[in-house]
Amino acid sequence: MRHVKSQFSLALSGIRRATGGPAASIPGEPGASRHFRLHVRLTWLILLALLALLLSRFGLQFSLIRDKLPFLLGLHLSPDGFIQGAPLTLLITLISIVCSSLIATLVACGRMSSNPIAFALATFYGSLFRGTPLMLQVLVIYLALPQVGIVMDALTSGILALSLNYGAYLAETIRGGVLSVPPVQREAAQALGLPRHVIALQVIAPQALRIIIPPAGSMFISMLKDSSLVSLMGVWELNFLAQSYGRSTYRYMEMLITAAAIYWFMSIICELLQARLEKRYGKGYANPHLT
Amino acid sequence: MKHYLQALCFIAASLLASTAHAGETLQRVERTGVLHDLLVNDDPPFGFIDDTNHLAGFDVDVARAVAQRLGVKLELDTPGWENIVGGHWNGRWDVCICSMTPNTQRAKVLDFPAPYYSSPAVLIVNKAETRIKSAADLTGKKVGIGLGSSYESYLQKALVIPGGKPINFPFGPVQAVPSDETVAFANLALGPGVRLDAVISDLTTAHAYIKKAPAFKIVTELYAEPNWVATDQGDAEWNKKIAATIQSLRADGTLGKISQHWLGEDLTKDQP
Repeated sequence: MRHVKSQFSLALSGIRRATGGPAASIPGEPGASRHFRLHVRLTWLILLALLALLLSRFGLQFSLIRDKLPFLLGLHLSPDGFIQGAPLTLLITLISIVCSSLIATLVACGRMSSNPIAFALATFYGSLFRGTPLMLQVLVIYLALPQVGIVMDALTSGILALSLNYGAYLAETIRGGVLSVPPVQREAAQALGLPRHVIALQVIAPQALRIIIPPAGSMFISMLKDSSLVSLMGVWELNFLAQSYGRSTYRYMEMLITAAAIYWFMSIICELLQARLEKRYGKGYANPHLT
Repeated sequence: MKHYLQALCFIAASLLASTAHAGETLQRVERTGVLHDLLVNDDPPFGFIDDTNHLAGFDVDVARAVAQRLGVKLELDTPGWENIVGGHWNGRWDVCICSMTPNTQRAKVLDFPAPYYSSPAVLIVNKAETRIKSAADLTGKKVGIGLGSSYESYLQKALVIPGGKPINFPFGPVQAVPSDETVAFANLALGPGVRLDAVISDLTTAHAYIKKAPAFKIVTELYAEPNWVATDQGDAEWNKKIAATIQSLRADGTLGKISQHWLGEDLTKDQP
């Protein structure tokens, strides 16, 4: 009897895995078995402990980390009275996420349009900004544009470069998501006589978002790290402060590791947010019988 | 069509026109009452961020003295060495009191109104080094230098300091390894020849590193390195003003006092 039951549960978990069930992608999802979750968390703890062991071998001066942590976390303002450190990094990333999403939606529409000028603009833009390194784009906007009379400050240049660059990548992700919605959906909506904007916003978009969110989420997490490039122009964000404090106190390693830990922590928050969004947009696909 | 082309040419020409006007910087500083000074934020003791999260150092105090003498407020900016040395500041900043040594490439895009201190360039090796005893022993060795520093042109045997003595290059071809200066010192500390054989930097920076981690020793002084105040090209009136201010600060001993405080000795005396 036990033999039959275990075979049955094996088959069940196989089906769960085959349907891309939640156990494979979202830990903490009711579909993931307790056994699976427990072992995942144990493994994480062991890996963290190994990492901590490795770090303890570096001979780091923790008193310095303790002193500088409030400044890195932005609990004090910069000498100019502006926010600094991790909050400034988050601010830059958030503004860039909003701007790049807007740009990406426009470019994706252009890419999928039948208007030749819109298509040409969208493809040219996408190719240019995906084909050149982000660092070069940041420096060109900051240094080369003033030569033609457009002088922008460091923060604006950084946000603009990030938005333009990630807008290009995000446009392709959006296009992929829209293409993944079965064409019958559009035909059915048209057959129902729904106006075009309703089809786009209420029929296509929610279904496309399920496919768009995982790669878009990864891109935004990557943008969090890429925002460190604005330190090239002297913006007092997390990476700039870590390097400055490190060099000023001749304790480079401590500051770099602290900054890395803060970046990781912020990325983990983003990953959790992404998991929630995926759950929300995957509602129609979660199999209630297996959860 | 003809008018359209003419208009286009006019717009293109006005966009591409150079915008350096005589006296622009001086007018801007006097009008706004603010001196925008450039600084390097990670070069202790010249410019760094102190424990209270404020920019401090020798260069900061000199800039403060200059601003006070001019009767304006001081605002500091730290946009990165490449942005400073590349010139074309486009009115963002007025002056750079940032321990810059003039060389031919920099002189193409910047003006150097006045020297303000001199710190010799030194050759630093790992404490356990035995093969390198002078600059001539550098032939074929791996030497670490800061990215974009004047030590790079020294190793390329192209360094000419305007107004200074001609520099001696007693070595043959050297393998220059430009990188972050902090990284260069960290690599040198690993051991002689492990990643680097030597590092070239200035005397004060070398002393600071040796005090923090006695893994290095100074072999010899290579050449006297005068550090000048720099401004964006094209404003002769501003340059005259800056030169006069620096000279007056030197004459009444302010520069000397600042130097004693930060560098332990008066390096601001006039060079013979």
